[in-house]
Parts: sequence; structure tokens; C-alpha cells
Amino acid sequence: MKRRSGYRIVPYFILIIVCLYNIVPFVWMFSTSLKTEKEAYKIPPTFLPKEPTLESYDQIIVWTSFPRYFLNSTIISLGTALLSTFIGALAGYGFSRFHFSGRATLIGFILASQMLPGVLLVGPYFKMLVKIGLYNTYPGLIFAFTTITLPFSTWMLKGFIDTVPEELDQAAKVDGCSTLGAFLRIILPVIAPGMVATMIFAFLLAWGDLLWVLVLTSGDAMATVTLGLSRLVTQFRIIWPQLMAGSVIATLPPLVLYMLLQNSLVKGLTAGAVKE
Amino acid sequence: MNPIISESSSFSIFARPLSKKLQGFLFVLPCLLMLLLVLGFPVVTAIVNSFSPIWSEVKTFTAENYIKLLRDELFWNSLKVTFIFVVSTVFLHHVLGMIVAVALNAELRAKRFFRLIAILPWTVPDVISGLIWRFMYNPTSGIINYLLIRSGATEQYIEWLASPNLVLPSIIFADVWRGYPFVMIILLAGLQAIPREQYEAARVDGASRIQEFIHITIPNLMRIIIIALALDTIWQFRRFGLIYNMTLGGPGHTSEILSLYIYKHYFKYLNFEYASAMAVVMAVLMIIISLPYIRMITRKV
Repeated sequence: MKRRSGYRIVPYFILIIVCLYNIVPFVWMFSTSLKTEKEAYKIPPTFLPKEPTLESYDQIIVWTSFPRYFLNSTIISLGTALLSTFIGALAGYGFSRFHFSGRATLIGFILASQMLPGVLLVGPYFKMLVKIGLYNTYPGLIFAFTTITLPFSTWMLKGFIDTVPEELDQAAKVDGCSTLGAFLRIILPVIAPGMVATMIFAFLLAWGDLLWVLVLTSGDAMATVTLGLSRLVTQFRIIWPQLMAGSVIATLPPLVLYMLLQNSLVKGLTAGAVKE
Repeated sequence: MNPIISESSSFSIFARPLSKKLQGFLFVLPCLLMLLLVLGFPVVTAIVNSFSPIWSEVKTFTAENYIKLLRDELFWNSLKVTFIFVVSTVFLHHVLGMIVAVALNAELRAKRFFRLIAILPWTVPDVISGLIWRFMYNPTSGIINYLLIRSGATEQYIEWLASPNLVLPSIIFADVWRGYPFVMIILLAGLQAIPREQYEAARVDGASRIQEFIHITIPNLMRIIIIALALDTIWQFRRFGLIYNMTLGGPGHTSEILSLYIYKHYFKYLNFEYASAMAVVMAVLMIIISLPYIRMITRKV
């Protein structure tokens, strides 16, 4: 049966409207960051700045601890991404290749641990960190985020390793590799796209968190960009251009990461999280 | 398995070769240890706290915190707000995610470009999307009222986040912006895995697009839809930063979701025991909701 050609326009129509919805907040954030404080409060507002200025960026970078927050966010998120992906890959390999007793129960347990809300865990975890002297440190935060992302990382990487034929491991072992050696030298390179997807996922989660940083840090030394920006907004007077300049900077790393690794991310989610 | 291969695979630093079961367990061990340490200990502490009297040094067993929350109107309010927030955002994430995924799965020019834009909001941390939308909703300097007034849809400055009736819909609209792209990618991945022949066969039989969608697309996607629904529900239940930055639960308590209410009790009023009891209830609710999903996953591993 022949289709009416009108059908072909429908997807474009939908996508253009959706793209507008997706893009307008980005434009608003960027445009506000280039306005003067006076222009940002103009009634009625201007959509694009009349006289664009980088003043707000200058203020937030030079006059606040924002560069420090940025560094903290980077260290914590990278640490989480690496640790969560490596431990997740180890566990994924264990679950995929070895059928030990209690395996299904353990997988169920790991998946169920995702259901524990952060507000239940963060208080006692805070007290534990104070006791062992890891309060207000990078490891304290990295361990927390790694654990939150681990169930998802493990499950996704297990799915990925399931798709790698077991003959590959065996061939490596014939050549004299130990089990760990086969995992490190053969499996990890093959599942690289899945690892990239998992890393982005863990990175985004750690980068965007507020609750755990709010509780597990104090002062400026360990604050992250999300915490820094949230403090600016709870002040009595909100300076929107500065806040939006900070938001632009804080959105850049995840955005760039995503743009660069888009294909791996989509492929990784497809093979890992969605496989039948 | 070839006995020679299995012989060489049991090479290890120990004198006696490790059994295959033990090897597998060792691979899983670091993951389990982290979960036990970072989740296990706090969970036990929280449960013990939830059964202890408020502000007491001596830990004696009592159920008073649980009895108290049954009578706490603000607790029930936050449960209601959470329910509205989770159900509407998850529903809208899936409806919009499905529409965009189907559109992206069609034969298109500039597909990569559209896909790139479609996923973009997902990369913005929810804390920051809360900030952006808060300023967009600003009654006098925000873009939303400006566009509505310019287009003649309204004449007044609408107080989106300060009106008890509008605050939740406004927050939901902002959350959908950030939340639907992830559901969309998962659904799109599922759509691409459906064999083309099924559609071709349906076309020969003269099926309409709607019939195709109901009889081919939906049944093929069922498992993926359940996974996406479960993951999204869990994440939405835990949403914190978005509302923290948009309204802090206000005006009054009209947008105070459970995680925010528990947070306030724990860290502002320092009612550790009472907050723990509420958090335990929240965890139990989340586990009950996701039980079908965990069953489905573990049945197939």
C-alpha cells in the first residue's frame, strides 16, 4: 500500500517543537550570563543581551571560590567514574562468567540496594565518616558516589560482558593468561564502549549531586559547583547573571563529555541496559 | 569443557588452584564490600535509630516514632506531593520519550543532529536545571511570562512558583525537560532492535500506523518499558536538588517532597530518630514499588 507523503513531515514537525523546548532554557541560561545585573532585572525582560558582557564570568571566577569548587567537582566525579566502572566491571565479570551459588540472590540484593533513598543513608554515613576521620575529604565523597552508582554500573557491564563470547577468555587462558589476566587484557578492551557509557553515567551522577555534598562537607574547601551555586541562590539577594555564568561553567564538562562520547553512550546503554 | 583448558585456567598464586566458584566470588567481592560498608552500616544504624526514643542517650526499643508519623499531617502531605510528582513526571517522561523516540526512529535527514539536541537536557545537573527554570519562571524578569504576555495569552504576571496551585505543575514541567531524554534513549534503543520484517508484514496486510504501534511496537518494547519505568520511578522518588533549589518545598509545604521533608527533620531540626523512621518507611515503599522489576530481572539472569 502506498503511504501519503504527509506522514513524512510529521516526525520533523514533532522534532522541531521538541528541539525548541530543549534549547530555550540553554539559550536563556547563556543569555542571562552575558547580561548586566540591571538588564537581567529589566521589565519586560530582553531575550538576548543588548550589550553582552563577560563581567559576570569575571566576577564569579576571580571573586568567589568557584575555581576551587570546579576542581573539587572534577576530582570527585572523575574518581567516582573510574572506581565505579572498574569495580562494576570486576563484579560484572564475576556474575557473567561464574555460576557460583547464591549468584541470583546477590544480583537481586545489589539491584535492591538502589531502592535505598539517599536521605536514609546520608545521616549515619556522615557520623561514620566523622568517626574514621574522612568527613570533608575526597575519599569520603568518592566512596559514597561509587556505591550509589555501583548497582547500575555492575548490571550494565554484566550485560555487556554477556555479549562477549566465552571462547575469547578461553583462548587467552590457553596462551597462559590467568583469569584476572584474561579479564584485564582481553575483556576490558572489548567492552570499552560499555565502560565509557558507565563512566559518563557515574560522572554525571557525582557531578550533579547536592544532598551528599551538602551533608558531607563544610566550608569552601571541599564544596562542589552544585553546592556553591545552591549557596548563592539561598542568599538574600540573588545575582542572576553571576548565577547563570556559574551554571554555564558547571554545565560545560558534562556537556562536552557527552558530545564527545555520544556514540559510545548510546551504544553502551543499548547493549548493556536494554539487551534482551 | 576441554579438561586441558580448565586445568590451565585454575593457575593462581595459591598453591592449591582456586575453585571456579571461589574465583567468581572474588571478582564480585570488592563490589559487595563497598555496598555493605557504605550502605549496610547506615541502613542498620537508621533502622536502630528509628526505633529509639527522640533525643535520648540510652537506646531503648520504642515504636513511638512510627506512631508519631501516622499522626503527622506534614508527613502525609509530603507523601501526597511525592506521589503527584513521581506519577506525573514518570508518566510524562515516558509519553514524551516515546513520541520523540518514534520520531527519531523514522527515516530522517539530520538524524544525528536531532538526536544530539534531544538528549542535551539530560546532561544538565538537576540542581542547575532548577536554577535555570527558577529564573525562567520569575514573574517580572522571566522569559515565560514575557512570552505569554507578548502572545496575548495572559495579561498578568503569573506567580508560577509562589502560587500553591501552580507550583507543582511548574516544577513538573521543569523536571520533564531534564528527565525525558534518558527514557527516550532507552526506548529508542529498544525500537531499533525490533526486526523490520514485522512492520513489512503488517504493511502487506494493510495495517495503519496506529495498529502497527499497538500490535508490533508496544509488545516488542514491553520489557524495556518496564525497565525504564522502574529506573525512572526510583530516580524520581529520590529527586532532591531540583526542588531544593526551585522552592525549598514552598510556598508553605505545597512542594515539599518526602526526601526534602526528611532532610529538614534530620539536618535542620536534628530529629535523627524521627527522620530515620520516615526514611525507613520511604525505603520500604520504594522496595515494594520496584519488587516486580527486581523479580523480572533476576528471573532471567
